[in-house]
Amino acid sequence: MNLALQFLANGLVTGAFYALSALGLTLIFGLMRVVNFAHGEFFMLGGVLGWVATAVLGLDFATAFVLVVAAMGVLGWLVDRFMIERVRGHGEESTILLTIGLSIFLANATLYLAGPAPMKVPAPLTGKPLFLGPVVLTKSRLAAVAVSVVLVLGAYLVIHRTRIGRAMRATFQDAMAAKLSGIRTERIFAATFALGTMLAASAGMLLASIYSAQASVGGLVSLKAFVVVILGGMGSFPGAIAGGLILGLSEAFWGGYVSTGTVDIVGFVMVILILLFRPRGLFSLNAQRA
Amino acid sequence: MTGERSSLLFVLVLAAVFPFAVQNPYILHLAVIAGIYVVLATSLNLIVGYVGEFSLGHTAFFGIGAYAAALLSTAAGLPIWLTVPLAGLLAGLFGIVIGAITLRLQGPYFVIVTLAFAEVLRIVATNWIGLTNGPMGIAGVPQPASVAAAGIVGGKQIYYFMAAGMVAVSLYLAWRLVRSNSGRAAVAVRENRFVAQSIGVDPFLTAMHVFTLSAVLAGFAGGFYAHYVSFVGPEVFRFSFMASMIIMVLMGGKGTLLGPVLGAVIVVGLEEYLRQAQELRLTLFGLIVMAVVLFAPNGLMGLLARRPAWLARRAAPALVSNQGEPA
Repeated sequence: MNLALQFLANGLVTGAFYALSALGLTLIFGLMRVVNFAHGEFFMLGGVLGWVATAVLGLDFATAFVLVVAAMGVLGWLVDRFMIERVRGHGEESTILLTIGLSIFLANATLYLAGPAPMKVPAPLTGKPLFLGPVVLTKSRLAAVAVSVVLVLGAYLVIHRTRIGRAMRATFQDAMAAKLSGIRTERIFAATFALGTMLAASAGMLLASIYSAQASVGGLVSLKAFVVVILGGMGSFPGAIAGGLILGLSEAFWGGYVSTGTVDIVGFVMVILILLFRPRGLFSLNAQRA
Repeated sequence: MTGERSSLLFVLVLAAVFPFAVQNPYILHLAVIAGIYVVLATSLNLIVGYVGEFSLGHTAFFGIGAYAAALLSTAAGLPIWLTVPLAGLLAGLFGIVIGAITLRLQGPYFVIVTLAFAEVLRIVATNWIGLTNGPMGIAGVPQPASVAAAGIVGGKQIYYFMAAGMVAVSLYLAWRLVRSNSGRAAVAVRENRFVAQSIGVDPFLTAMHVFTLSAVLAGFAGGFYAHYVSFVGPEVFRFSFMASMIIMVLMGGKGTLLGPVLGAVIVVGLEEYLRQAQELRLTLFGLIVMAVVLFAPNGLMGLLARRPAWLARRAAPALVSNQGEPA
């Protein structure tokens, strides 16, 4: 029973991290419908740049975080304006191939420049782990969960409560109509892509302070993020959180009670079943097919 | 596309005389690898270019073929001329099952669900130690006796001719499929699903035909790969094989039979050539892939096809003036 509680706590924390790392993809894949295989590399770059800023340049965590996220926003903007823009409307293949090329490039350039060793970002919070009855949790994990909640709320508010958010929703519903009513859709696309990149990078830097950043982690992160986005429903933030938690919990319990080797299979089987039986995702309210 | 059949025949003739001109075992090895990739790229191209859906799970069929051939030859002792066709058939059966599930979806969902299937198979292959020997893989897949007897260059030549034979059979099957009712129906669905349905084409059924043949071809390639490399591990399901296949198909030009053949040969050559750049190899490779998408979106065949389009533009005004005259 105690073990079950610990699995529950671990699953919730891992799930929050899954949700956090999938947020950027919720925007880019869920809303923009760009099948972005470079998502994991954006996440990885967030962690590696965070390591450069804190461990190499000696900045404090908060300053480094702001700088890294801003730099990644610029990168995302440039990638969209100079690459994705050129293949928009040419079907999935071109974007998939383009983002696969980008991910191969980013992963290997990072590997070449920074080496294969894990890079640990100094954690902003240290101290003894908390004991809640039989359950053990560390403070930095709880802090990361709290930051994820803030980021999710922030992104949600931007999309649902601001002018640019309304322009985004209009553009992804019908780009032509949005253009006709005076929205500069190419800017909206670039802004959304940049926002998604920034979310991915902030997740990468936060998690690099708990685990560590590694040049080769991108592929796995992309796959998990796709699973979370599809579980939760395309483009839905509450869905992404629920999807992340479901994935984290089912992996924790599967790993605890069935077998640890096959943990990764859980998410993929769920994706296959979801797409077959409930293609709108578990929590999608609007009529968008997921 | 009238030149396509003669171009393909030309490629095959070139392939047939190739080993007599080149005796270098390293070059022959590259040619065999290129042959395997030609079959894989042709098979993926059937889905990407003719069904018009983008599969990221094609390694599923390659891996099933490889494991099938490895198990059939090590455990059951069957010879290579039986294991490779059986590998293709088994992959085809899996193709029917996976296709029946995945082809109900389109667009990004098809992409992700096929990827999920390949990943599930990879994890099963890693963990089902009783059947696949897990991460250790199956070593010592037997070589044909004739290869062992023929020495280094002779052995490579025998493998080369087997690969060339497999390429010829695969291209013939793909050619027949593309020219069949199913192939033409698939193109109609790709171009406009609703118009195709309105003239009585069942999109799901035609896609199933093409998907199944595509799985069979990938299974052939996997079976042959198992014998050639003589080792099969869970990495046959890895995404890097998939990335190579996609790059070959799109670099060569999807929806043409010749394009993936050229793409496979060029990419295998390019990957080898970039070995000079050592650690920067994959970084450069990523850049080249991006450049191809941005500057030659229809691949090499698209570049080649540009000239006829330019010629056609010169002829176009005559056509317009003909139509303009009162009947």
